[in-house]
Amino acid sequence: MNEKILEVKNLETSFKLEDGVVKAVDDVSFNVYKGKTLGIVGESGCGKSVTSLSIMRLIPNPPGKISGGQIIYNGKNLLDYSPAEMRKIRGNEISMIFQEPMTSLNPVFTIGNQLIEAIELHQKLSSKECREKAIEMLKLVGIPSPATRIDDYPHQLSGGMRQRVMIAMALSCNPHVLIADEPTTALDVTIQAQILELLRELQDRVGMAMILITHDLGVVAEVCDDVMVMYAGRVVETGTVEEIFKNPKHPYTRGLLNSIPTLSKDPTGKAKKKRLETIPGIVPSLLDLPKGCRFQDRCTFVKDACRTSEPELRVIKSGEHLDHSIRCIQDI
Amino acid sequence: MSTLTTTPDSIEIGQPLPKGRSLWQLGWMRLKQDRYAIVCASIVLFYFLIALLSKLDLIASPWDMKVADSYAPPSLSEFKLWLGADIFGRSVMYKTIYGTRTAIGIGLVVTLLSIPIGVFLGAVAGYFGGWIDEIIVWFYTTLSSIPSILLLIAISYALNRGITAMYVALVSTSWIGMARVMRGEFIKHKTREYVIAADSLGASHFSKIFKHILPNVSHFIILNFSMQFMGAIKAEVILTFLGVGIQGTPSWGNMIDDAKLELARGVWWQLTGATVAMFFIILAFNILGDSLRDALDPKIK
Amino acid sequence: MGTFLVRRILGSIPIIFGVALVVFILFNIVGGDPALMMVGKHATAQQIADIRREYGLDQPLYVQFFHYLKDIITFDFGRSYATRQKISDMILNGIGPSLSLTLPAFFITTVISVILGLLVSYFRGGIIDRVAVILCVIGMSIPSLGYILFGQYYLAYELRMFPISGYDYSFPGRFEYLVLPMILWLLLSVGYDVRFYRTAMLEETTQDYVRTARAKGLSEPRVFFKHVLKNSMVPIVTNVVLEIPLLILGSFLFETFFGIPGLGSITIDALHNSDLPVIKSMAFVMSLLLIFGNIITDIVYALVDPRVKLK
Repeated sequence: MNEKILEVKNLETSFKLEDGVVKAVDDVSFNVYKGKTLGIVGESGCGKSVTSLSIMRLIPNPPGKISGGQIIYNGKNLLDYSPAEMRKIRGNEISMIFQEPMTSLNPVFTIGNQLIEAIELHQKLSSKECREKAIEMLKLVGIPSPATRIDDYPHQLSGGMRQRVMIAMALSCNPHVLIADEPTTALDVTIQAQILELLRELQDRVGMAMILITHDLGVVAEVCDDVMVMYAGRVVETGTVEEIFKNPKHPYTRGLLNSIPTLSKDPTGKAKKKRLETIPGIVPSLLDLPKGCRFQDRCTFVKDACRTSEPELRVIKSGEHLDHSIRCIQDI
Repeated sequence: MSTLTTTPDSIEIGQPLPKGRSLWQLGWMRLKQDRYAIVCASIVLFYFLIALLSKLDLIASPWDMKVADSYAPPSLSEFKLWLGADIFGRSVMYKTIYGTRTAIGIGLVVTLLSIPIGVFLGAVAGYFGGWIDEIIVWFYTTLSSIPSILLLIAISYALNRGITAMYVALVSTSWIGMARVMRGEFIKHKTREYVIAADSLGASHFSKIFKHILPNVSHFIILNFSMQFMGAIKAEVILTFLGVGIQGTPSWGNMIDDAKLELARGVWWQLTGATVAMFFIILAFNILGDSLRDALDPKIK
Repeated sequence: MGTFLVRRILGSIPIIFGVALVVFILFNIVGGDPALMMVGKHATAQQIADIRREYGLDQPLYVQFFHYLKDIITFDFGRSYATRQKISDMILNGIGPSLSLTLPAFFITTVISVILGLLVSYFRGGIIDRVAVILCVIGMSIPSLGYILFGQYYLAYELRMFPISGYDYSFPGRFEYLVLPMILWLLLSVGYDVRFYRTAMLEETTQDYVRTARAKGLSEPRVFFKHVLKNSMVPIVTNVVLEIPLLILGSFLFETFFGIPGLGSITIDALHNSDLPVIKSMAFVMSLLLIFGNIITDIVYALVDPRVKLK
């Protein structure tokens, strides 16, 4: 049942900047299981997107480089693959959808052209069959009258429709893993829900594994099975969705959960307004990390010990397929 | 940099924010690290120095004295003979130096006159829009629809050929590029929040244009300066060559024009002097322009 | 498309009017007495009066301007002062040689530069790229006259590979004379162009759609020669638009240099002869060509970018 499809071990991705080298992803490990969804959560700049681009080996080089670790897919390390071997994986076995549906499609080709291109590349089909398959995919993702829409240019579609096209493209070769990098951030709230619903439905239908990158914990609660919280390039807490939401242990995860607005009612039945909590301070610059725990300056529970050495990730409760671990020395 | 907080105490417990650097400081910092930029800036300064010394009659003076036989070939015996002599036995080296003075003079006059005109008209058109914009745009579209070479010919013709006509001609076409850029930038900037903020504080049009927006788009002026300087030098050479430019005093254009007939006799030194002198300053401006663009690009962090 | 053309042509009427106005002001007002400029200082009063009458210079300025506008519309520019030829005939004779030189030269230069720009940006960051950029910067810093003078001297005079100058009106025959100018045209423009196209294409490679194309598993050549190339058509066309005036400058330089009887050399001859009616007409006709060229490129924009609608 709980079969690992993708295993990331001690991944380290660094970027060479004007002022020095930064590790945008630092010693990150996680597993993705068949048919399950892993949510990667964190503020912007915490290394979520870099992690996902590293799996696809699409880190722009220079300035970026995967400087360590392993990405095991089907028992083989993707980092050992030649560029040609990697191209057979991309779009075929591991697909990705991006944050910006407005710019992620090529403006000068029709969506059909771009969809068929992906199908042609990975499947042995005649050009007529490719087109049929493309129309079928557009229908699958809920594009109305796909047979005519297929000849539209991206600018003729709305943002939500474009993201559907991106999804159709990503799923057209029945990938085993789908990486969705903030697929709904740029969309209206109502469209967001539709797209998430679509992704979940499609996942059930084709049984693929999914990595969902987001900063929205509401989305995670709704869609994901497992959660990984990242902070300043590090994993700070992982666990199943139930564990993390019921029993968050890292002060940062708690802070994130507390900063979601909720509507609760007081005993008299009137809606009660709770003051929204925030996490004080800002993410430290990766060029200038504090000694010790990276979250220390924003942590309300900070102790002297937090400032001396960085805590290791430790298991606090073992689980069926995923242990609940945190990178914090305290038990709060 | 995202922040999740607005509480004042967070500033104390948070790390001190990295000190803000203005675009100019950042640009200067980057430029100082750019070896090519430093070399090219030095070359440009060297040309300016030569021009100044020539202007003060400290070097290459007098240029119109016979120093050798007609078409005497280059010889290393004396500085003034390094590049040989022209048909009248005058020092080609001196003429090249005097040509530098002419070129730098034209570059300076043209840029210093055309940039303020371009900035002002572009800013006003972009900022006010409406009929002011339409008139200014009509004006420069018209001027740029006349091929500049013909406009230059027409102006030098109308004003009698000579250096003044060339100044007027070059200024009247050079400001257009600057005005276009400025107009575009002002249209972009006038609806930005900081301008609206200034507006809500009661800033006058004058203050919004010159105090608020202009400093934010001023890096375009620097970029334009290096481009126009180069353009003016090239234009002098071509105009003079076509017979509508400088007459009487040495310029690189005149020297190249002379060389047209000299090459067949194997006299290559006048052409060499002028082209080499021109090559290095254009090269320096080309590279410097690129470095400036990179250094002042707000997109690159 | 039809309505676009009509609108665009109507839109250029104020510009054409402006051009006429500027040309008129320059020659008939700023330049002083046009008659005097044509005949020179030593002419007799009778000569000046004749000139005045022939070119309508004895009438009030607004009448002169009105006549000028009428001449423009009817394409009747009168006669040359120096050669007594009809100016409209001179233009018609000159346009053939000019276009035979400039259009092929410009087209070949653009195609070769785009191909080189693509290759160079495909190998971005590598040694080929670096060498190419250095060569481009050096190439664009050499004065254009240097290329022309040296090319004519070395290739035509010394090596006798091409005729030194001249022109032949017969059809394939003319190209014997045009090959060298075209080669030099290519040499003196290729540096700037390749560098420009390289930058434009590199800019495209950082766009999101390129990442998407790679995420599909497309090979790097496919990403580049399909996705990037089609998108860089927009900056390519933009550069071509900016360079259209260079066609005219090129026509001036090369025609005078290689003795090609095109519009450029006609104008320069007129300048040396103080042939004011010819210069005035040329300024106007060439402006028209420029405006016409800009309308064509607007149409090309719509062809390369589906987001542009011609309305």
